[in-house]
Amino acid sequence: MIEELAGPIALVGYGLAAIGPGIGIGIVVGNAIQAMARQPEAAGMARTTMFLGIAFTEALALIGFVLFFIA
Amino acid sequence: MESVILAASECDVEAEIICAPSDVLELFEFTKPLFSIGGFDFTRTVFLIFLAMFIVLAILYYGLRKGEKVPSKFGAAVESLVTFVRDDIAIGIIGPEGIKYAPYLLTVFTFVIVGNLFEVTPLINFPITSRMAIPAFIAVVTWVIFVIVGFKKNGLHYLTDLVWPKSVPLALRWLVGIIEFVSTFVLRPITLAVRLFANLVAGHLMLSLLLASGYIFVTAIPDVGLKGFVGVAWFVFGLGIYLFEIVVAVLQAYIITLLSAVYVQTSVHPEH
Amino acid sequence: MFASALPVFLAASEGAEESSGIDLLLPATSELVAGILAFVIIYIMAWKWVFPQITKTLENRQAAIKADYEAAEAAKVEAESLKNDYQAQLAQARDEASRIVEEARQAGESVRADVVARAETEATAIKERATADMSGERDRVAAGLKREVADLSLDVAEKVLGTSLDRGAQQALVNQYIDELGGLGS
Repeated sequence: MIEELAGPIALVGYGLAAIGPGIGIGIVVGNAIQAMARQPEAAGMARTTMFLGIAFTEALALIGFVLFFIA
Repeated sequence: MESVILAASECDVEAEIICAPSDVLELFEFTKPLFSIGGFDFTRTVFLIFLAMFIVLAILYYGLRKGEKVPSKFGAAVESLVTFVRDDIAIGIIGPEGIKYAPYLLTVFTFVIVGNLFEVTPLINFPITSRMAIPAFIAVVTWVIFVIVGFKKNGLHYLTDLVWPKSVPLALRWLVGIIEFVSTFVLRPITLAVRLFANLVAGHLMLSLLLASGYIFVTAIPDVGLKGFVGVAWFVFGLGIYLFEIVVAVLQAYIITLLSAVYVQTSVHPEH
Repeated sequence: MFASALPVFLAASEGAEESSGIDLLLPATSELVAGILAFVIIYIMAWKWVFPQITKTLENRQAAIKADYEAAEAAKVEAESLKNDYQAQLAQARDEASRIVEEARQAGESVRADVVARAETEATAIKERATADMSGERDRVAAGLKREVADLSLDVAEKVLGTSLDRGAQQALVNQYIDELGGLGS
């Protein structure tokens, strides 16, 4: 059955690479929302930090995306 | 790559129906230049880039030309856009000296947002930011700015603090240093460019495939009968994604501007 | 046939040249040049025109709003003072009016009193004159009557006595008698 599957293995690689960042971004955003809800006056700072955190977390998924094209 | 787009067996009702482009690049690259001057290819994308430039210049010019005491609706919108970039992004994130970077951030924001919205503009339907040129250029410029600012503000401490952080236990310091160095100087520009690029590529792919294949299925109803009604669902789903892509286009323009500002800010005030 | 209907989405592949995914990831030279050019033009406009312009606009607007506000404030103060003036003038006018009315009333009162007093004096004078006239007339009539009576008495006495009496002495005697009578009678 495995032999019947066709297509680039890089697709699977990207799928795997996206799992971790998906979870990580969920955690980052969830905690940022909690922080904003607890301290609405610091919402601006929390939002900026949230985007920064997302950016760092997302990096892995984006590297996977690049590798998909390179492979 | 050929098999990525669609399962060809689904639409092989007649020989003429081309369901899948032979290559994904066909969705993003119009390989035949319209004309070429001295090796410079005027492709459709090049024209769209200049169109985006003219749209941005026109919006800024007509919005701010008069500087009236009571602005028109359009003027007020442009003013609030400019003051949003200046006050909320430049000054709000970088700090009082962020006003210096406001023109750069405004350029990034306006150019990218117009380029992104080309994705959902009828008759254009092609985001110029889904080509790597503009995201890469913005990423490189941001990289140059934050590296120069970092060295200018902190001298050589900028580099030494980054690769040899004093607050980390000695055993882990070298590891954290390597990670920090790579993430700051290598991954930051790459991810900044790829984030914008990837979002727009994905959006354009989804819209092209859903709307085009939906259209093909619907027009093939006389040939394939009931099976063709799958296309209706595809088409409706594509329209939903269309609305979603408007949000993505605006959000990604905001995020690349915001992250450019944040990267500059981390160089202006490290350890924050 | 359907591909021709969708030139934007599905350009029919003719060349079918071999291209790998990495081509999608690398910027094309012409697009890079065009993108840099467009970016720099927008940047120059943003730097040289947009921000000076918006700063100027916002400052002008702020100044204009401030001026408008101050003008409105001044107008309000002026209106307030005008209103106070008008109210004061109104009160003054009202006082004046009531004073005039009062004066007029007093004047009327005095005129009335005057008229009444004069009328009274006049009436008194007329009465006195009438009384005086009457008493003068009475005196005159009484004097006339006395003389007549004396004459008559003398005539009667002459007739009776048949002699003419010393007319003057007799008359004086009769008059004296009448006077005595009158003195007694009155």
